[in-house]
Amino acid sequence: MVALKLIPQILSWAVIALVLLRGFPRYRTTVSAAACSGFALGAAGMLALFRFLPGELCFGLARDVVGGTFLLAWGVSVAAVYRSTGREKAMSWGERIAQTPPFAAALALASGFIAGAVCACRIPGSEGNLLACLILVLAGVALVFAALALERVLPASFTVSLPGLLVLVAALLLLGSSSIIRLDLFAPLTMKVMKFTHDFVHQFFESMLIPDHLFIRPYLWGYIGLLFGKEVGFWGGLVIWFVPALLIVLAIRLERLPQVSHIRQGAARRRVTAAAIRARGFRLVVPVLAVAVLSGAVYRSRYPSVEYWDPKPMPILASPSGEIFIPKKGEVNLEDGQLHKYLFKQGGKEARFFVLMTPEGKLTVDLDACAICKPDGYGQAEGTVICYYCKTLIPLETVGKPGGCNPVPVPFTEKDDGVHLDGLTLINTWSGTIQSTARPKEGGK
Amino acid sequence: MRRLLHTIWGGLASRALPPLVIGGFLLLYIGIAFGTDETLIALMEITRTTVILVALLALLPLNHLIRLLRESASHIELRRALHGAAAGVNPELFDETVPLSPTASFAGLEERLAAEGYQTRSTGSGLAAWRGIGTFAGRICWRAATFCLFAGILISLSSRASSRGSVIEGEPLPAAAGGGKVERVVLADSQGAILSKALAMEVTPPEAGAARRVFGLYPPALYRGAFIYPRYLGIGLFVRFDAPDLPGGYQKHCILNIHPPGKEDSADITGSPYRLIFSLAQPEDGSDPYKTGRMTFLFKVHKGKDVLFAGSAPAGGEFVHDGYRISLPDARRLVITDFIRDYGVLLIWAAALLFIAAGCLWLPARVFFPRREMLFLREADTVKAFSRAEGGRSRHAGVFHDALDLIEGRHSGNP
Amino acid sequence: MATIETSGLTRSYGDICALKPLDLQVPEGEWLSVMGHSGSGKSTLMNLVGGLDRPSAGSLRVGGKDLLGLSEDGLARFRREFVGIIFQQHHLVPYLSAVENVMMAQYFHSVPDEAEARTALERVGLGHRLRNRPGELSGGEQQRVCIARAIINSPKLLLGDEPTGNLDHKSTVMVLELLKELRAEERFTIIMVTHNQEVAVWGDRTIYLDDGVLVREERTRP
Repeated sequence: MVALKLIPQILSWAVIALVLLRGFPRYRTTVSAAACSGFALGAAGMLALFRFLPGELCFGLARDVVGGTFLLAWGVSVAAVYRSTGREKAMSWGERIAQTPPFAAALALASGFIAGAVCACRIPGSEGNLLACLILVLAGVALVFAALALERVLPASFTVSLPGLLVLVAALLLLGSSSIIRLDLFAPLTMKVMKFTHDFVHQFFESMLIPDHLFIRPYLWGYIGLLFGKEVGFWGGLVIWFVPALLIVLAIRLERLPQVSHIRQGAARRRVTAAAIRARGFRLVVPVLAVAVLSGAVYRSRYPSVEYWDPKPMPILASPSGEIFIPKKGEVNLEDGQLHKYLFKQGGKEARFFVLMTPEGKLTVDLDACAICKPDGYGQAEGTVICYYCKTLIPLETVGKPGGCNPVPVPFTEKDDGVHLDGLTLINTWSGTIQSTARPKEGGK
Repeated sequence: MRRLLHTIWGGLASRALPPLVIGGFLLLYIGIAFGTDETLIALMEITRTTVILVALLALLPLNHLIRLLRESASHIELRRALHGAAAGVNPELFDETVPLSPTASFAGLEERLAAEGYQTRSTGSGLAAWRGIGTFAGRICWRAATFCLFAGILISLSSRASSRGSVIEGEPLPAAAGGGKVERVVLADSQGAILSKALAMEVTPPEAGAARRVFGLYPPALYRGAFIYPRYLGIGLFVRFDAPDLPGGYQKHCILNIHPPGKEDSADITGSPYRLIFSLAQPEDGSDPYKTGRMTFLFKVHKGKDVLFAGSAPAGGEFVHDGYRISLPDARRLVITDFIRDYGVLLIWAAALLFIAAGCLWLPARVFFPRREMLFLREADTVKAFSRAEGGRSRHAGVFHDALDLIEGRHSGNP
Repeated sequence: MATIETSGLTRSYGDICALKPLDLQVPEGEWLSVMGHSGSGKSTLMNLVGGLDRPSAGSLRVGGKDLLGLSEDGLARFRREFVGIIFQQHHLVPYLSAVENVMMAQYFHSVPDEAEARTALERVGLGHRLRNRPGELSGGEQQRVCIARAIINSPKLLLGDEPTGNLDHKSTVMVLELLKELRAEERFTIIMVTHNQEVAVWGDRTIYLDDGVLVREERTRP
């Protein structure tokens, strides 16, 4: 079962190893050794981190490192386009360094390290699962050898440019991390893009002294309103997600062909040009593959294979004094670490809430809604709750604390027999929260 | 020292500078995003208050200005080379430079290139050929636009001063606006495609004999160095409030942001637990009371957390209930307005226009009539050929190679 | 160095031996005419030398390459870069113009170059007929387009399989004159299959095949 879950990460690692070997064909031994070492170090390192640090910190660290590779891919792709469209023919110092064995080794080591860490994050109970980690490392090493054998079979004309290689490695790491909801980067990216777009449009209107929506035609404001919706985050996120790979494709496509003006025979000139075009075409394979891999990562992020625990809210009533009581043990066991949802109705109004035992062993009562998003509710999976509207993951340790996309806490009293809370307070908190999330944003202050 | 200056100059004029600077700000944005949800606001504030960041931002317009000047100089140099007016030809102006044998002959070349659709000119020492329209004008517009954009952002970020005030009919303009009297405020429907309403604020400047100014919605008027930026419509309401436990009553000029009808705003009775919540009543005929001037106010009187009563009264009327009296002797239209001192806005508008111009100039030239140039030059004991193409490269290369074959195939002195 | 060297070159189709063991040497730049009645093995020899067919036995070296040792890809590359062929039936693409037909040969070789194709057509005297389709050209003009198409990739070996078979006398002479000029300029080897003695004498040497056997050889030019 664990092995099945690891398939995306393991496959990603195999392709990373293959591409690294093809990218540095003169340093196969160095690259293989560095890749194996990196993978082992990454897996073991992540195991050690899980032992000594809180899980959320470890996942956050791994996510930040993968995010760093994505930023690096962005930088490399922009540099590649600038290089292609410039007139400089001489190799830059960066390109010279990139063709040396130490660079190849460092890249393989780093890629292996990150891939190993991501794979280790997938193993349940990582902090104690030494055997699984050992098997993982052995599998990683075996895959490197398999990649070594496969690389020799690939046609020699299939060459890899360094920027294409870097982008594909980043894409594969993102694919591996997207399969782990706590390492997923696409969902948080869409949220950040949505927020940035909202802020930018707002600031733009203010800076450009554009009249408020009251003065603008409704149909036009409807279009502008799209920029304030959730979908802008998704589409903007897609743009940011795919641009590095597409820029590499563009950079390769815009590469100047070799100068042949000094050749006086037409057929010879055309032969040189055709060979360059063919080589350029082969170099396009890797970034196009990166686009496909990134698409897979988006799909994995949007439709994770994990199943959310999302029970149907149980109806609950208040006592004549208006108090809601939920026993700790009975039909349900409140202390089992799972979400328990309830639906309370009073005076024509209703409120949805849940009770949850956090990993620290404390019970918390919260609305099934947050102060920011529309009240689509929460689900639970793999140590987090997820907001269905914005797909933000909230670690279980932070549930019960207000702010951001966290579910709104509800005041309650915990006694030996169970949980007590006031029905009217619950209804008012719910109404107030829903009203604030339903109010359309106004421009200006 | 000279080398250092040369390096600095090279860096300032480098194509790589803008992405590096923008990338730096992006990394800063990402770092700030970990700490706050108001990331963009925080970034703007940090940039505004940090000299190094302002200096970094200033590199962007500087870079584009230098590149604009350099590109103009290169263009002039290229034109001179093609006219044969330059003493020597800088190979960096062209995509390709090909040395030819000293005995190469240009005989028949002009006719051949003319047959390929190129215009030709024999210079003293060679032959120039070209076709198409250059994209220089579009590129210069683009450079100028990016300069204006980044300069505008820099100026706006570092020097924008904004204050908010109310423009009330019959009252003087707020001091921040620079003085003058508001004669009237008129709201009307607009027939434009973008704006549904037209707003006119008629103001008489303080100087004797000065012409009346009318401030509209967009583009915002510039008055005494500040842009007049209308934000919300509201009512200036003079309220007299009498309550049993308020001897002497209370009166106040309230600025109420209560347009459109239904929107609520409150006025606190200072020194008392009373609060009045006002809104405009929607007339039955569906008209806008702000336009017509026929206003009826709905209000709720709160004492502490409790709602004492609600009622309504027209402008100029009053409402009495249970010892309470609310009079509304005077109601005037007002516009809650921002007065913005920000010259960066002008540059950003200029940038927008220049970007549009750049697109209109560049796109047709690049797509339909790309510029392609060749220069064949005999200098002392060398013969060189230069080629340059902004588009249609492979076709141009074919003609260029064919021309070189012709030149090399016929040698001076051979029949 | 001989462009073409064969030793015991044989081609059989089942029980039928189209070409019996043949030893032949063609020096670089020679124009060799191959004569014989139908079924004598002329076209078979041309196909083998042009890499269009594989011999059943013997050795065959063209331009220093052992054709028997080449893979299918290698043979294709050899044909693209070393050989130009002119057929009796022109095999021009009817919906493409003259210059486009020549550019097609460039396309299959490497990349098309219109300026070079135009120059090639000007060289064969068709600079004024660039945009005309084959249907708008005379027989001689079509064959000249074929010549331009055959030599555009600077082949070392030009094969002609009855290139003047469908032409009148005047056109025939025009085509042969053109081939003679081009050979002098480009220095390629020509092997021309014909059963017309008047065409054969344009070559430097003529060989006669009968039933797949080389029966006679004549030197036309010293």
